[in-house]
Amino acid sequence: MGAEHTSVPRWGSEWPAPDPSARTVLLVGFGARGCAITAAWAADVPAGRPVEVLAADDADESVLAVLTARIAGARVGWRLMLAGPEDDVLAARAVALRAGVLDAEIRCAVTSTDRKRVYCPHCRATTTTTAPVAGETPCEGCARRLHVYAHVSRRAGAYLGFMADAEEVA
Amino acid sequence: MTATLTAPGALRADDGRLVLEVAGVVDEVPGTRTLVLRRPGGGLLPAHPPGSHVVLDCGDRRNAYSLTGDGSPCEEYRVSVLLCPDGEGGSAFVHRLAVGDIVSASRPRSAFAPVSTARHHLLVAGGIGITPMLSHARAAVRWRRSFELLYRHRPGAGAHLDELRGLCGDRLTAYTSTPEMLAAVRAALADRPLGTHVYVCGPTPLIGFVEETAAELGWPGERVHAERFSADLDAGEPFTAVLARSGSRVPVPSGTSLLTALEQAGVAVPNLCRQGVCGECRVPVRSGRPLHRDLYLSETERAAGDAVMCCVSRSVDDELELDL
Ligand code: FES
Repeated sequence: MGAEHTSVPRWGSEWPAPDPSARTVLLVGFGARGCAITAAWAADVPAGRPVEVLAADDADESVLAVLTARIAGARVGWRLMLAGPEDDVLAARAVALRAGVLDAEIRCAVTSTDRKRVYCPHCRATTTTTAPVAGETPCEGCARRLHVYAHVSRRAGAYLGFMADAEEVA
Repeated sequence: MTATLTAPGALRADDGRLVLEVAGVVDEVPGTRTLVLRRPGGGLLPAHPPGSHVVLDCGDRRNAYSLTGDGSPCEEYRVSVLLCPDGEGGSAFVHRLAVGDIVSASRPRSAFAPVSTARHHLLVAGGIGITPMLSHARAAVRWRRSFELLYRHRPGAGAHLDELRGLCGDRLTAYTSTPEMLAAVRAALADRPLGTHVYVCGPTPLIGFVEETAAELGWPGERVHAERFSADLDAGEPFTAVLARSGSRVPVPSGTSLLTALEQAGVAVPNLCRQGVCGECRVPVRSGRPLHRDLYLSETERAAGDAVMCCVSRSVDDELELDL
Protein backbone atom coordinates (compact mmCIF):
# COMPACT_ATOMS: atom_id res chain seq x y z
CA MET A 1 0.00 0.00 0.00
CA GLY A 2 2.53 2.58 1.20
CA ALA A 3 3.96 3.59 -2.14
CA GLU A 4 0.54 3.49 -3.79
CA HIS A 5 -0.83 6.28 -1.66
CA THR A 6 0.64 9.63 -1.07
CA SER A 7 -0.86 12.59 0.60
CA VAL A 8 -2.27 15.53 -1.32
CA PRO A 9 0.20 16.44 -4.07
CA ARG A 10 2.00 19.73 -3.68
CA TRP A 11 2.40 21.19 -7.13
CA GLY A 12 5.36 23.53 -7.41
CA SER A 13 4.51 27.18 -7.91
CA GLU A 14 6.63 27.09 -11.06
CA TRP A 15 5.83 24.88 -13.98
CA PRO A 16 8.39 22.25 -14.86
CA ALA A 17 10.34 22.43 -18.11
CA PRO A 18 10.59 19.57 -20.61
CA ASP A 19 13.08 16.89 -19.58
CA PRO A 20 16.22 17.48 -21.68
CA SER A 21 16.83 13.72 -21.83
CA ALA A 22 13.43 13.06 -23.45
CA ARG A 23 13.58 11.49 -26.91
CA THR A 24 9.88 11.84 -27.74
CA VAL A 25 7.27 13.83 -25.85
CA LEU A 26 3.50 13.76 -25.56
CA LEU A 27 1.98 16.99 -24.26
CA VAL A 28 -1.63 17.00 -23.08
CA GLY A 29 -3.33 20.31 -22.25
CA PHE A 30 -6.71 20.56 -20.53
CA GLY A 31 -8.70 23.78 -20.98
CA ALA A 32 -7.42 27.07 -22.36
CA ARG A 33 -4.81 27.60 -19.64
CA GLY A 34 -3.51 24.07 -19.89
CA CYS A 35 -3.22 24.37 -23.67
CA ALA A 36 -1.30 27.64 -23.36
CA ILE A 37 1.23 25.81 -21.19
CA THR A 38 1.57 22.88 -23.60
CA ALA A 39 2.17 25.37 -26.44
CA ALA A 40 5.01 26.92 -24.45
CA TRP A 41 6.42 23.48 -23.65
CA ALA A 42 6.29 22.47 -27.32
CA ALA A 43 8.57 25.39 -28.12
CA ASP A 44 10.97 24.35 -25.36
CA VAL A 45 11.46 20.72 -26.37
CA PRO A 46 14.96 20.42 -27.88
CA ALA A 47 15.00 20.41 -31.67
CA GLY A 48 14.83 17.05 -33.37
CA ARG A 49 12.72 15.37 -30.67
CA PRO A 50 9.26 14.39 -31.93
CA VAL A 51 6.50 16.14 -30.00
CA GLU A 52 2.80 15.42 -30.11
CA VAL A 53 0.38 17.94 -28.58
CA LEU A 54 -3.14 16.96 -27.56
CA ALA A 55 -5.67 19.61 -26.59
CA ALA A 56 -8.75 18.64 -24.61
CA ASP A 57 -11.54 20.24 -22.61
CA ASP A 58 -11.18 17.71 -19.82
CA ALA A 59 -9.86 14.23 -19.09
CA ASP A 60 -12.87 12.35 -20.43
CA GLU A 61 -12.96 8.74 -21.56
CA SER A 62 -11.97 9.48 -25.13
CA VAL A 63 -8.92 11.52 -24.14
CA LEU A 64 -7.83 8.85 -21.66
CA ALA A 65 -8.30 6.19 -24.36
CA VAL A 66 -5.99 8.12 -26.69
CA LEU A 67 -3.46 8.45 -23.88
CA THR A 68 -3.64 4.70 -23.19
CA ALA A 69 -3.05 3.96 -26.88
CA ARG A 70 -0.06 6.31 -27.03
CA ILE A 71 1.49 4.65 -23.97
CA ALA A 72 1.00 1.21 -25.50
CA GLY A 73 2.96 2.30 -28.57
CA ALA A 74 5.67 4.29 -26.77
CA ARG A 75 9.34 3.32 -26.54
CA VAL A 76 11.66 3.97 -23.59
CA GLY A 77 12.77 7.62 -23.75
CA TRP A 78 9.16 8.83 -24.12
CA ARG A 79 7.92 11.48 -21.72
CA LEU A 80 4.45 12.67 -20.76
CA MET A 81 3.68 16.25 -19.77
CA LEU A 82 0.25 17.22 -18.46
CA ALA A 83 -1.14 20.73 -17.95
CA GLY A 84 -4.52 21.84 -16.68
CA PRO A 85 -6.83 21.68 -13.66
CA GLU A 86 -5.77 19.24 -10.96
CA ASP A 87 -8.66 16.82 -11.44
CA ASP A 88 -7.84 16.33 -15.12
CA VAL A 89 -4.11 16.10 -14.53
CA LEU A 90 -4.56 13.56 -11.74
CA ALA A 91 -6.95 11.45 -13.82
CA ALA A 92 -4.52 11.37 -16.76
CA ARG A 93 -1.53 10.74 -14.52
CA ALA A 94 -3.33 7.83 -12.88
CA VAL A 95 -3.95 6.23 -16.28
CA ALA A 96 -0.25 6.59 -17.10
CA LEU A 97 0.96 5.22 -13.75
CA ARG A 98 -1.37 2.24 -13.99
CA ALA A 99 0.07 1.54 -17.46
CA GLY A 100 3.58 1.37 -15.99
CA VAL A 101 4.84 4.87 -16.75
CA LEU A 102 7.21 6.02 -14.00
CA ASP A 103 6.98 9.25 -12.03
CA ALA A 104 10.32 10.16 -13.57
CA GLU A 105 8.65 10.06 -17.00
CA ILE A 106 5.75 12.40 -16.14
CA ARG A 107 5.78 16.16 -15.50
CA CYS A 108 2.70 18.11 -14.52
CA ALA A 109 1.58 21.73 -14.38
CA VAL A 110 -1.60 22.35 -12.42
CA THR A 111 -3.52 25.52 -13.26
CA SER A 112 -6.16 25.24 -10.52
CA THR A 113 -7.11 22.97 -7.66
CA ASP A 114 -10.75 24.09 -7.35
CA ARG A 115 -12.26 20.93 -8.74
CA LYS A 116 -11.53 17.59 -7.10
CA ARG A 117 -12.28 14.02 -7.96
CA VAL A 118 -13.43 12.13 -4.88
CA TYR A 119 -13.41 8.36 -4.78
CA CYS A 120 -16.16 6.64 -2.81
CA PRO A 121 -14.89 3.44 -1.20
CA HIS A 122 -18.45 2.33 -0.54
CA CYS A 123 -19.73 2.22 -4.14
CA ARG A 124 -16.41 2.86 -5.99
CA ALA A 125 -17.84 5.76 -7.99
CA THR A 126 -15.77 8.90 -8.52
CA THR A 127 -17.49 12.25 -8.02
CA THR A 128 -16.25 15.62 -9.22
CA THR A 129 -16.77 18.39 -6.71
CA THR A 130 -15.62 21.88 -5.82
CA ALA A 131 -15.79 21.07 -2.10
CA PRO A 132 -12.53 21.85 -0.27
CA VAL A 133 -10.41 19.23 1.49
CA ALA A 134 -12.21 18.36 4.77
CA GLY A 135 -15.45 19.54 3.16
CA GLU A 136 -18.36 17.36 2.09
CA THR A 137 -19.94 16.29 -1.19
CA PRO A 138 -22.76 13.91 -2.08
CA CYS A 139 -21.51 10.79 -3.89
CA GLU A 140 -22.80 10.65 -7.46
CA GLY A 141 -22.89 6.87 -7.25
CA CYS A 142 -24.66 6.09 -3.97
CA ALA A 143 -25.73 9.53 -2.70
CA ARG A 144 -23.90 9.06 0.61
CA ARG A 145 -22.51 12.26 2.08
CA LEU A 146 -18.75 11.99 1.56
CA HIS A 147 -16.13 13.72 3.65
CA VAL A 148 -13.24 14.80 1.35
CA TYR A 149 -10.25 13.30 3.06
CA ALA A 150 -6.78 14.90 2.66
CA HIS A 151 -5.45 11.84 0.89
CA VAL A 152 -4.89 11.32 -2.83
CA SER A 153 -4.54 7.89 -4.36
CA ARG A 154 -1.95 8.07 -7.12
CA ARG A 155 -3.34 5.14 -9.01
CA ALA A 156 -6.95 6.28 -8.75
CA GLY A 157 -5.99 9.92 -9.33
CA ALA A 158 -8.63 10.96 -6.80
CA TYR A 159 -9.13 12.14 -3.25
CA LEU A 160 -10.43 9.57 -0.86
CA GLY A 161 -13.96 10.15 0.39
CA PHE A 162 -15.56 8.48 3.34
CA MET A 163 -19.04 8.50 4.75
CA ALA A 164 -19.48 11.80 6.59
CA ASP A 165 -22.00 10.44 9.10
CA ALA A 166 -20.28 7.11 9.69
CA GLU A 167 -20.44 7.48 13.47
CA GLU A 168 -24.15 8.25 13.45
CA VAL A 169 -24.87 5.15 11.39
CA ALA A 170 -22.67 3.00 13.53
CA MET B 1 29.09 -11.66 -9.48
CA THR B 2 31.94 -12.10 -7.09
CA ALA B 3 33.20 -10.11 -4.17
CA THR B 4 36.02 -11.07 -1.92
CA LEU B 5 36.80 -10.10 1.61
CA THR B 6 38.80 -11.15 4.58
CA ALA B 7 36.80 -12.84 7.29
CA PRO B 8 38.70 -13.03 10.55
CA GLY B 9 37.78 -15.74 13.04
CA ALA B 10 35.89 -13.22 15.16
CA LEU B 11 32.96 -13.02 12.75
CA ARG B 12 29.76 -12.17 14.52
CA ALA B 13 27.56 -15.23 14.74
CA ASP B 14 25.03 -14.85 11.93
CA ASP B 15 21.79 -16.43 12.83
CA GLY B 16 20.40 -18.58 10.12
CA ARG B 17 23.63 -19.27 8.30
CA LEU B 18 23.27 -22.33 6.15
CA VAL B 19 25.47 -25.39 6.43
CA LEU B 20 25.80 -26.87 2.98
CA GLU B 21 27.49 -29.87 1.47
CA VAL B 22 29.18 -29.81 -1.90
CA ALA B 23 27.03 -32.33 -3.76
CA GLY B 24 28.55 -31.82 -7.16
CA VAL B 25 31.35 -30.04 -8.96
CA VAL B 26 30.97 -29.21 -12.66
CA ASP B 27 33.81 -27.82 -14.75
CA GLU B 28 31.94 -26.88 -17.88
CA VAL B 29 34.39 -24.40 -19.37
CA PRO B 30 38.05 -23.89 -18.46
CA GLY B 31 38.48 -21.69 -15.40
CA THR B 32 34.85 -21.68 -14.32
CA ARG B 33 33.64 -24.13 -11.72
CA THR B 34 30.03 -24.72 -10.76
CA LEU B 35 29.26 -25.97 -7.26
CA VAL B 36 26.07 -27.82 -6.47
CA LEU B 37 25.23 -27.22 -2.78
CA ARG B 38 22.66 -29.11 -0.71
CA ARG B 39 21.78 -29.53 2.92
CA PRO B 40 23.84 -32.45 4.23
CA GLY B 41 20.70 -34.44 5.05
CA GLY B 42 18.74 -33.12 2.06
CA GLY B 43 15.67 -30.91 2.36
CA LEU B 44 14.42 -27.63 0.98
CA LEU B 45 16.58 -24.52 0.93
CA PRO B 46 15.15 -21.00 1.29
CA ALA B 47 13.51 -19.60 -1.82
CA HIS B 48 14.82 -16.29 -3.11
CA PRO B 49 14.10 -13.62 -5.73
CA PRO B 50 15.99 -14.09 -9.01
CA GLY B 51 19.39 -12.34 -9.01
CA SER B 52 20.11 -13.13 -5.33
CA HIS B 53 23.49 -14.13 -3.93
CA VAL B 54 24.86 -15.97 -0.93
CA VAL B 55 27.97 -15.04 1.01
CA LEU B 56 30.14 -18.14 1.23
CA ASP B 57 32.84 -18.74 3.83
CA CYS B 58 35.98 -19.41 1.82
CA GLY B 59 38.66 -20.27 4.35
CA ASP B 60 39.82 -16.97 5.82
CA ARG B 61 37.55 -14.84 3.71
CA ARG B 62 33.97 -14.51 2.55
CA ASN B 63 32.82 -14.26 -1.05
CA ALA B 64 29.45 -13.31 -2.49
CA TYR B 65 28.26 -15.56 -5.32
CA SER B 66 25.10 -15.28 -7.37
CA LEU B 67 22.67 -18.19 -7.23
CA THR B 68 21.91 -19.32 -10.76
CA GLY B 69 18.56 -21.02 -10.07
CA ASP B 70 15.21 -19.35 -10.65
CA GLY B 71 14.66 -18.90 -6.92
CA SER B 72 11.68 -21.15 -6.32
CA PRO B 73 12.01 -23.53 -3.38
CA CYS B 74 14.36 -26.37 -4.21
CA GLU B 75 16.90 -28.70 -2.62
CA GLU B 76 20.01 -27.33 -4.23
CA TYR B 77 21.77 -24.06 -4.91
CA ARG B 78 24.25 -23.63 -7.71
CA VAL B 79 26.99 -21.04 -7.93
CA SER B 80 29.56 -20.63 -10.70
CA VAL B 81 32.95 -19.30 -9.78
CA LEU B 82 35.60 -17.98 -12.13
CA LEU B 83 39.10 -18.78 -10.95
CA CYS B 84 40.96 -15.48 -10.51
CA PRO B 85 44.66 -16.39 -10.15
CA ASP B 86 45.44 -12.80 -9.13
CA GLY B 87 42.47 -12.53 -6.77
CA GLU B 88 42.40 -12.63 -2.99
CA GLY B 89 42.23 -16.40 -2.84
CA GLY B 90 38.49 -16.92 -2.42
CA SER B 91 38.01 -18.29 -5.91
CA ALA B 92 41.03 -20.58 -5.47
CA PHE B 93 39.42 -21.90 -2.28
CA VAL B 94 36.24 -22.70 -4.18
CA HIS B 95 38.24 -24.39 -6.92
CA ARG B 96 39.85 -26.66 -4.32
CA LEU B 97 36.49 -27.84 -2.93
CA ALA B 98 35.49 -31.45 -3.60
CA VAL B 99 32.27 -33.39 -3.38
CA GLY B 100 31.43 -34.06 0.27
CA ASP B 101 33.10 -30.89 1.63
CA ILE B 102 31.00 -28.80 4.01
CA VAL B 103 30.74 -25.04 3.58
CA SER B 104 28.90 -22.31 5.44
CA ALA B 105 26.86 -19.72 3.59
CA SER B 106 24.55 -16.83 4.39
CA ARG B 107 20.90 -17.10 3.54
CA PRO B 108 20.21 -15.69 0.05
CA ARG B 109 20.30 -11.92 -0.18
CA SER B 110 18.42 -10.04 -2.85
CA ALA B 111 19.86 -6.84 -4.27
CA PHE B 112 19.25 -7.35 -7.98
CA ALA B 113 15.70 -8.61 -8.40
CA PRO B 114 13.61 -8.21 -11.56
CA VAL B 115 10.93 -5.50 -11.43
CA SER B 116 7.65 -7.39 -11.39
CA THR B 117 5.74 -4.69 -13.25
CA ALA B 118 8.22 -4.48 -16.15
CA ARG B 119 6.74 -5.00 -19.60
CA HIS B 120 10.01 -6.40 -20.93
CA HIS B 121 13.37 -7.32 -19.38
CA LEU B 122 16.58 -6.53 -21.26
CA LEU B 123 19.39 -8.58 -19.71
CA VAL B 124 23.02 -7.66 -20.44
CA ALA B 125 25.88 -9.87 -19.21
CA GLY B 126 29.63 -9.79 -19.63
CA GLY B 127 31.80 -12.80 -18.70
CA ILE B 128 31.07 -14.37 -15.33
CA GLY B 129 28.44 -11.62 -14.90
CA ILE B 130 26.20 -14.16 -16.59
CA THR B 131 25.47 -15.86 -13.25
CA PRO B 132 22.69 -13.56 -11.92
CA MET B 133 21.37 -13.26 -15.49
CA LEU B 134 20.99 -17.02 -15.71
CA SER B 135 18.79 -16.78 -12.63
CA HIS B 136 16.77 -13.94 -14.20
CA ALA B 137 16.41 -15.83 -17.49
CA ARG B 138 15.23 -18.99 -15.77
CA ALA B 139 12.65 -17.08 -13.74
CA ALA B 140 11.51 -15.16 -16.83
CA VAL B 141 10.99 -18.43 -18.72
CA ARG B 142 9.20 -19.98 -15.78
CA TRP B 143 6.87 -17.05 -15.28
CA ARG B 144 6.54 -16.32 -19.02
CA ARG B 145 7.95 -12.85 -18.72
CA SER B 146 9.09 -11.08 -21.87
CA PHE B 147 12.90 -10.90 -21.94
CA GLU B 148 16.03 -11.02 -24.06
CA LEU B 149 19.65 -11.67 -23.09
CA LEU B 150 22.78 -10.17 -24.64
CA TYR B 151 25.88 -12.05 -23.50
CA ARG B 152 29.52 -11.26 -24.22
CA HIS B 153 31.96 -14.08 -23.46
CA ARG B 154 35.47 -15.05 -24.39
CA PRO B 155 35.76 -17.38 -27.40
CA GLY B 156 35.38 -20.96 -26.19
CA ALA B 157 34.77 -19.92 -22.59
CA GLY B 158 31.11 -19.01 -22.45
CA ALA B 159 29.93 -20.19 -19.05
CA HIS B 160 26.47 -21.77 -19.23
CA LEU B 161 26.26 -21.08 -22.97
CA ASP B 162 24.68 -24.39 -24.01
CA GLU B 163 22.26 -24.28 -21.13
CA LEU B 164 21.29 -20.71 -22.02
CA ARG B 165 20.76 -21.61 -25.67
CA GLY B 166 18.34 -24.33 -24.66
CA LEU B 167 16.61 -22.10 -22.13
CA CYS B 168 16.35 -18.88 -24.12
CA GLY B 169 16.30 -19.95 -27.78
CA ASP B 170 16.40 -16.89 -30.00
CA ARG B 171 16.02 -14.60 -26.99
CA LEU B 172 19.75 -15.12 -26.42
CA THR B 173 22.36 -13.38 -28.56
CA ALA B 174 25.94 -14.26 -27.66
CA TYR B 175 28.96 -12.23 -28.72
CA THR B 176 32.68 -12.87 -28.60
CA SER B 177 33.47 -9.41 -29.98
CA THR B 178 33.14 -6.47 -27.60
CA PRO B 179 32.43 -3.85 -30.31
CA GLU B 180 29.63 -6.02 -31.69
CA MET B 181 28.21 -6.55 -28.22
CA LEU B 182 28.27 -2.83 -27.44
CA ALA B 183 26.62 -2.01 -30.78
CA ALA B 184 23.87 -4.52 -30.00
CA VAL B 185 23.38 -3.09 -26.52
CA ARG B 186 23.10 0.42 -27.93
CA ALA B 187 20.61 -0.71 -30.59
CA ALA B 188 18.49 -2.40 -27.94
CA LEU B 189 18.55 0.62 -25.64
CA ALA B 190 17.55 2.82 -28.58
CA ASP B 191 14.31 0.99 -29.27
CA ARG B 192 12.49 -0.97 -26.60
CA PRO B 193 8.87 -0.67 -25.42
CA LEU B 194 8.13 1.81 -22.66
CA GLY B 195 7.98 -0.30 -19.52
CA THR B 196 11.22 -2.14 -20.29
CA HIS B 197 13.83 -2.45 -17.54
CA VAL B 198 17.50 -3.14 -18.29
CA TYR B 199 19.74 -5.24 -16.03
CA VAL B 200 23.51 -5.44 -16.41
CA CYS B 201 26.17 -7.50 -14.68
CA GLY B 202 29.77 -7.75 -15.80
CA PRO B 203 33.01 -5.82 -15.87
CA THR B 204 32.88 -2.16 -14.80
CA PRO B 205 33.35 -0.76 -18.33
CA LEU B 206 30.32 -2.71 -19.56
CA ILE B 207 28.19 -1.45 -16.68
CA GLY B 208 29.40 2.10 -17.33
CA PHE B 209 28.56 1.76 -21.04
CA VAL B 210 25.03 0.57 -20.30
CA GLU B 211 24.40 3.27 -17.71
CA GLU B 212 25.74 6.09 -19.88
CA THR B 213 24.08 4.93 -23.08
CA ALA B 214 20.76 4.40 -21.33
CA ALA B 215 20.88 7.90 -19.84
CA GLU B 216 21.79 9.40 -23.19
CA LEU B 217 18.84 7.61 -24.81
CA GLY B 218 16.35 8.91 -22.25
CA TRP B 219 16.12 5.95 -19.85
CA PRO B 220 15.28 7.16 -16.33
CA GLY B 221 17.63 5.68 -13.74
CA GLU B 222 14.72 3.70 -12.27
CA ARG B 223 14.70 1.51 -15.37
CA VAL B 224 18.43 0.70 -15.18
CA HIS B 225 19.75 -1.94 -12.75
CA ALA B 226 23.40 -2.89 -12.32
CA GLU B 227 25.13 -5.61 -10.30
CA ARG B 228 28.77 -4.73 -9.75
CA PHE B 229 31.82 -6.73 -8.82
CA SER B 230 32.63 -4.93 -5.62
CA ALA B 231 36.38 -5.36 -6.15
CA ASP B 232 36.08 -3.14 -9.23
CA LEU B 233 34.67 -0.05 -7.55
CA ASP B 234 35.84 3.22 -9.00
CA ALA B 235 37.29 6.03 -6.88
CA GLY B 236 34.00 7.94 -6.78
CA GLU B 237 33.19 11.63 -6.58
CA PRO B 238 34.24 13.63 -3.51
CA PHE B 239 31.52 14.62 -1.03
CA THR B 240 31.14 15.77 2.57
CA ALA B 241 29.78 13.66 5.40
CA VAL B 242 27.90 15.79 7.92
CA LEU B 243 27.71 14.17 11.35
CA ALA B 244 24.34 15.21 12.70
CA ARG B 245 25.07 14.63 16.38
CA SER B 246 28.47 16.27 16.66
CA GLY B 247 27.82 18.77 13.89
CA SER B 248 31.23 18.06 12.40
CA ARG B 249 31.91 17.87 8.70
CA VAL B 250 34.12 15.14 7.27
CA PRO B 251 35.38 15.58 3.72
CA VAL B 252 35.49 12.33 1.72
CA PRO B 253 37.90 12.76 -1.20
CA SER B 254 37.74 10.69 -4.37
CA GLY B 255 39.58 7.43 -3.77
CA THR B 256 38.93 7.42 -0.01
CA SER B 257 36.02 5.44 1.36
CA LEU B 258 33.51 7.01 3.72
CA LEU B 259 34.57 4.43 6.31
CA THR B 260 38.23 5.42 6.06
CA ALA B 261 37.35 9.12 6.19
CA LEU B 262 35.26 8.57 9.33
CA GLU B 263 38.05 6.57 10.97
CA GLN B 264 40.58 9.26 10.15
CA ALA B 265 38.23 11.79 11.76
CA GLY B 266 38.22 9.67 14.92
CA VAL B 267 34.79 8.10 14.46
CA ALA B 268 34.83 4.36 15.12
CA VAL B 269 32.46 2.36 12.93
CA PRO B 270 32.22 -1.43 13.29
CA ASN B 271 33.39 -3.16 10.14
CA LEU B 272 34.68 -6.45 8.86
CA CYS B 273 34.92 -6.91 5.14
CA ARG B 274 35.39 -3.33 3.93
CA GLN B 275 34.03 -4.60 0.62
CA GLY B 276 30.30 -4.09 0.95
CA VAL B 277 29.43 -7.69 1.67
CA CYS B 278 29.17 -8.41 5.39
CA GLY B 279 26.74 -5.75 6.60
CA GLU B 280 28.75 -4.67 9.65
CA CYS B 281 29.43 -1.07 8.73
CA ARG B 282 25.85 0.10 8.25
CA VAL B 283 25.41 3.77 9.16
CA PRO B 284 22.04 5.57 9.44
CA VAL B 285 21.45 8.41 6.98
CA ARG B 286 19.37 11.46 7.89
CA SER B 287 19.45 13.38 4.63
CA GLY B 288 21.11 13.36 1.26
CA ARG B 289 20.86 10.53 -1.26
CA PRO B 290 23.25 7.61 -0.72
CA LEU B 291 25.02 6.14 -3.73
CA HIS B 292 24.71 2.47 -2.84
CA ARG B 293 27.59 0.32 -4.09
CA ASP B 294 27.37 -2.58 -1.63
CA LEU B 295 26.08 -6.09 -2.11
CA TYR B 296 24.39 -6.24 1.26
CA LEU B 297 21.33 -3.99 1.37
CA SER B 298 18.15 -5.24 -0.26
CA GLU B 299 16.45 -3.16 -2.93
CA THR B 300 13.83 -2.05 -0.45
CA GLU B 301 16.52 -0.97 1.97
CA ARG B 302 18.32 0.88 -0.80
CA ALA B 303 15.17 2.63 -1.92
CA ALA B 304 14.44 3.75 1.64
CA GLY B 305 17.75 5.63 1.53
CA ASP B 306 18.02 5.78 5.31
CA ALA B 307 21.15 3.69 5.72
CA VAL B 308 24.43 3.27 3.92
CA MET B 309 27.22 0.68 3.98
CA CYS B 310 30.02 3.16 4.55
CA CYS B 311 32.91 0.92 3.45
CA VAL B 312 31.98 1.17 -0.23
CA SER B 313 28.98 3.45 -0.67
CA ARG B 314 29.15 7.15 -1.28
CA SER B 315 26.78 10.07 -1.87
CA VAL B 316 24.82 11.25 -4.87
CA ASP B 317 24.50 14.70 -3.31
CA ASP B 318 27.39 16.94 -2.27
CA GLU B 319 26.51 16.30 1.36
CA LEU B 320 25.36 13.20 3.17
CA GLU B 321 24.04 13.75 6.67
CA LEU B 322 24.69 10.77 8.94
CA ASP B 323 23.08 9.99 12.27
CA LEU B 324 26.46 9.83 14.03
S1 FES C 1 32.45 -3.61 6.36
FE1 FES C 1 31.38 -5.22 5.46
S2 FES C 1 29.77 -4.23 4.44
FE2 FES C 1 31.03 -2.65 5.07
